[in-house]
Amino acid sequence: MFTPLNVILFGVVGLLGVGFYGLLITRNLIKVVMVLQILIKAVILALVLAGKLSGNMGLGISTAATVLVADTIVAVVGLALAVQVRRRFGTLDVPKISTLRG
Amino acid sequence: MAGILVTLVIGLPWLGAIAVWQAGNGRAKLQHTLAIVFSVLTAIISLVLLMFASSEAVIQIPLGVSFGELTFVPDGLAVSLTAIAAVVGSLAVIFSVDYMHGDTQLGRYYFLVLFFIGAMIGLVLSGNLLFTFFFWEITALCSYGLISFYNDDPKAVAGGIKALIITQVGGVGLLVGTLIAYVNLGSFQISVLLEKATTLPSVPLSFIAFSFLIAAAAKSAQFPFHTWLPDAMEAPTPISALIHAATMVNAGIYLLARFYPAFESVPAWTMSVLLVGLVSALIAALSALIATDLKRALAYSTVSQLGYMVYAIGAGGVFASQFHLLSHAVFKALLFLAAGSVIHSVGTRDMRRMGGLGQRMPFVRNVFIIGALALAGVPILNGFWSKEFILEIGLEHSPVWTYGIMLFGAGLTAFYTFRMVWLVFFGTERDQLHAHRAGLAMRVSLGILAAGTFVTWLFFGGLNGLLSTTMPFHGFEHESLLEMVISILSAPATWFALLIVGLGFGISWVRMKGFKYFGGGLLQPLVDTSFGFEPVNTFVVQGVSKFAERLRATQTGELNWNILGIIGGLLVVLVVLWMGA
Amino acid sequence: MESIQYGLFLLGAIFCAYRAIVSKKILSATIYLACISALVSATLYLLGAAQVAVMELSVGAGLVTVLLVYAVSVVGDDALDPASVIPKPLAFVLVGMVTILLGFMAFPAIQTNIENSSIALAIALWQNRVLDVWIQIALIFSGVMGVLGLLSEKTPGRTEEIHQ
Repeated sequence: MFTPLNVILFGVVGLLGVGFYGLLITRNLIKVVMVLQILIKAVILALVLAGKLSGNMGLGISTAATVLVADTIVAVVGLALAVQVRRRFGTLDVPKISTLRG
Repeated sequence: MAGILVTLVIGLPWLGAIAVWQAGNGRAKLQHTLAIVFSVLTAIISLVLLMFASSEAVIQIPLGVSFGELTFVPDGLAVSLTAIAAVVGSLAVIFSVDYMHGDTQLGRYYFLVLFFIGAMIGLVLSGNLLFTFFFWEITALCSYGLISFYNDDPKAVAGGIKALIITQVGGVGLLVGTLIAYVNLGSFQISVLLEKATTLPSVPLSFIAFSFLIAAAAKSAQFPFHTWLPDAMEAPTPISALIHAATMVNAGIYLLARFYPAFESVPAWTMSVLLVGLVSALIAALSALIATDLKRALAYSTVSQLGYMVYAIGAGGVFASQFHLLSHAVFKALLFLAAGSVIHSVGTRDMRRMGGLGQRMPFVRNVFIIGALALAGVPILNGFWSKEFILEIGLEHSPVWTYGIMLFGAGLTAFYTFRMVWLVFFGTERDQLHAHRAGLAMRVSLGILAAGTFVTWLFFGGLNGLLSTTMPFHGFEHESLLEMVISILSAPATWFALLIVGLGFGISWVRMKGFKYFGGGLLQPLVDTSFGFEPVNTFVVQGVSKFAERLRATQTGELNWNILGIIGGLLVVLVVLWMGA
Repeated sequence: MESIQYGLFLLGAIFCAYRAIVSKKILSATIYLACISALVSATLYLLGAAQVAVMELSVGAGLVTVLLVYAVSVVGDDALDPASVIPKPLAFVLVGMVTILLGFMAFPAIQTNIENSSIALAIALWQNRVLDVWIQIALIFSGVMGVLGLLSEKTPGRTEEIHQ
């Protein structure tokens, strides 16, 4: 039951769960960006794990690397947006900056 | 070659729609010109396509495993409807140049019209059931947009919403039938359904058959979905002529005609189709007897004539229904456009205020009379040949009492047609109305259509040849024009029918001379509630609107709630997967 | 035992993740995020994906940390943590159900032991995934452009409000 790969699977699922919980709970825009980072780490782990299981390690690594790059860009642009939101709305509280309704 | 033509005939109207939209509302003349150019080009290409009809799919685009292939099959049924849609469409666009003169939102109008023409052509040419559904929905959307075109008028908006919701019920029926067919046959292709329909077990086949019947009845405003068409007359008149007389409402007839060989073995299906057509024809004709709004009377007349076509399909005469569809498209478009000329110049739709307009609008009076004679079924005009053909098929293949009722309907048609002509163009003027002659664009389209009513019955042989050679599943018999003419003229039933028509004219004339042509008497309360169906429809429409309002509460716009929705959805997916495994 | 190593690393990662989410100050959350990066990077290296491990460490514990610190310095570390919009028990239960189901269903798929498969494939596959490389380049370029555009406008919000 506790083979190494199983442990990694539990780790992935656990990180995903904590990440989802964080997305549901957090009210700060910068925290949202951070929680997204946690989720992506779980995804990278899962991709490499899948590569390992199928024997196709090269594909797993390259996909994981692509996801990493994309996620970094997301973090960068997200933080820049957060800075602008703070300047425009004066607050980083997510419920208060929702102007799209109904 | 046929592939290129099919691409052009669907793509050109859509290209034209974008071109007119981009031209901008400031350049009205450019918009009018672009619209005419694109629609006339489409009409010409559709006529050329008639020569290239075949039963093979000419365009096949693979779309992956789930959707099968996107195919377009230009067989006889499809190309004849394409030609009708494109030609009547171009004539309606030409008419619109005068009718919509001075309107400030021409871009939206022409975009919707051209988009509609392309979608209608795509609907009939498509060989993939799912794409037939997509095009079906696009036509419903354009119809809604055009009915509510004058969107400051609450009646127009209400009429548009009503039409949209009721035709969407039909759309659901089409989708359900398509999906059941896909689950059982594994393919969305129409040819596969037609081939293998008899191998399906009877329960799914019946479901498909009746879902399609509901879809056709809702789209063609047949009983019990007949209430949306009279209210759709708030649309500008060229739209009423194009969409609600000559093309979109024919989509239901097309559906029934296309799938008749697949469903004729389903018990009670042909009888249901027969009855739907019969009841629609009858109650619509009765409603037209006492209508006071000119366009409403024509709308009831459309429902009635569509009832004749549905009745013909139920009796097994698919070709007869297509022939009548051709005649009806021409004379009904003519009647609507002529009515549009009248309404445009006098400014009212109420027939009680019109009268004696014949002297001041002689051209319109003449073409309207031609259209009315075609509608009533007077010899030489195309309506006579097609209606007699339907009645002949009805006499042979359906119970006699149904034939009797349809014959009575023909008499009623003559009655209300004469009443309309008399009330609008003859008699004494009842109100001081300004009436000017029709403009050049209006006259051109009216003239072409009037000439058409004399001529389209001659295409019987060509149409028959087209349909019988390119539609392998329907088993059409070859019949030439001469044979048809002889058989109709020599059948005693024809002369009997003509007698009824003459009787209809006569009684109407006698009553017109008295003053009893306004009120409804017994019929009025029945017609006001559309024979009891209006409350049902209002209930459905309001129910849907209220439900949509309540659903708005779920769109909070807050990130955390949205994420909750996403994770909830993920949970549902996982549970389904867990149960399924 | 390898399982214990993996278990320790990943448990540490989950613990750090939880602390990062519930911490009140963003700076401490940033530190915890860097710890998660380090632990995950170690796990990846042990799994055999050395290149991704290096990238993860440098990006997660380096770039992202610096960015977050910069953002906090510009924005100000508000000690705001009002009650969350969604009641915590509900979130807990929902997430709990999702994770348990996921773990349950994915469990049977992981039955093989670790094999040392040919890692040289990574190099060969860079040629097959060359489209990915181009996309990454385009992404980086557009990201940089976006950030420059976003951060160069000093106070666009104010000027818009003045014009209104």
